[in-house]
Amino acid sequence: MNHFLRLSSLLILLAACGSPYKQLVALPGKNRSVLAYKPQYDKELYRCTVNGRIIFKKFHLSGVLFFKKVETGTVHAVFQNEMGYTFFDFEWNKDDSFKVNQVIPQLDKPALIKTLKKDFSLLLMKGLDSNKEYFYSSGRGKTLYSCFTLDNGVAYYVSGNNKLQRIENAGKHKKVLTISIAGKKTDNAMPDTILFNHHKANFTIALHKLERHVDE
Amino acid sequence: MNKLIVAFLLTIYSTIVFAQPTGFKEVKNVAAFQQELTKANTSILDIVCDFTQIKNMSLLAEKIKSKGKFYYKKEDKVRIEYTQPFTYLLIMNNGQVMVKDEQKTSKINTKNSKAMQSVNRIMIDCMRGTVLQNADFKVSVFDNSSQYMLSMVPVTDAMRKMFQQINVYLLKKNFNVDKLSMVELGGDFTDMNFVNAQHNTGLNESLFKVK
Repeated sequence: MNHFLRLSSLLILLAACGSPYKQLVALPGKNRSVLAYKPQYDKELYRCTVNGRIIFKKFHLSGVLFFKKVETGTVHAVFQNEMGYTFFDFEWNKDDSFKVNQVIPQLDKPALIKTLKKDFSLLLMKGLDSNKEYFYSSGRGKTLYSCFTLDNGVAYYVSGNNKLQRIENAGKHKKVLTISIAGKKTDNAMPDTILFNHHKANFTIALHKLERHVDE
Repeated sequence: MNKLIVAFLLTIYSTIVFAQPTGFKEVKNVAAFQQELTKANTSILDIVCDFTQIKNMSLLAEKIKSKGKFYYKKEDKVRIEYTQPFTYLLIMNNGQVMVKDEQKTSKINTKNSKAMQSVNRIMIDCMRGTVLQNADFKVSVFDNSSQYMLSMVPVTDAMRKMFQQINVYLLKKNFNVDKLSMVELGGDFTDMNFVNAQHNTGLNESLFKVK
């Protein structure tokens, strides 16, 4: 275990060197785990818009994204278009193991699924272990960075004033993803608005929480 | 051997039961039905109605509901305007499709996409009563005391990849489209229920402008 912790620290330090995180100051000892902000929900419905660019061609996609936790503890993320046609249905079981239940052929690309899996896993705080969490600070200690080593890169959960402000994911040298969040009514609520900004892949996913029931 | 025959008969029986929707019986004289449908639709130049859309997710035992306004104008103009819980506009006009969400307006020429043409045609066929002529589907007609049900099973690859079945429900009293039910491959289905239909109100062409 100690060996693992030392290795993780080293990896995070290496990632921080020469990166936007090089100014961060390591915080020794135990701090409040960012898992205190882990979202708890039964179901949440979001208006979803995706904007991006592949080489010179822009693309735009919209629909609704639905998060639902079922009785077994499994969480589903289902994306469908406005007319109800399902684009994908992903799930994480109670042990945070990921599975694709359904995906349309146009989106059935390993790289895309891997990216979406990472995006939603970071947002929902799936597969994070507080025993492997490391802390840094910036801004004279006003901003806390809770860090986790991922399979590829590091996840930074950035909090300040006792609020989770954003989530970042960086590779060895560059930040690849920023997840901006706003309107988190309680520590454990799902945010009202979420923006996934993929700096390298050049696309964004914007989510705005919807009232679930339309007027009768 | 007898067991095999019983199993075979049971398989056929269950297929028949599956093919015939609960509460409906098959209409034998489809030609007569088509004739009546055509007659009823001849005088309809345009339709405006409200709709409620319910997406039923069987695995999650969950429903997502939306609503809006539906417009149709002969021969092939459709406007679907979602108003709750999001705003979204879809216009189909002579092979052109326009979609507009909160951020962007996009135009699609369905002439370049067989799948888009087929999806486009489903809605228009429902409104002008030409479902039985749609070659992308095998259509069977059923009825009960108040409704006809047109069961559309895809026969083309493009549609087979999208839908298990599409069911169109028509009111017997006036042949108005009461409900459109689109069943996906996984068994989830989306119902569009149409209410407050008004005919021949002289809908303005600008409603269907793809710009």
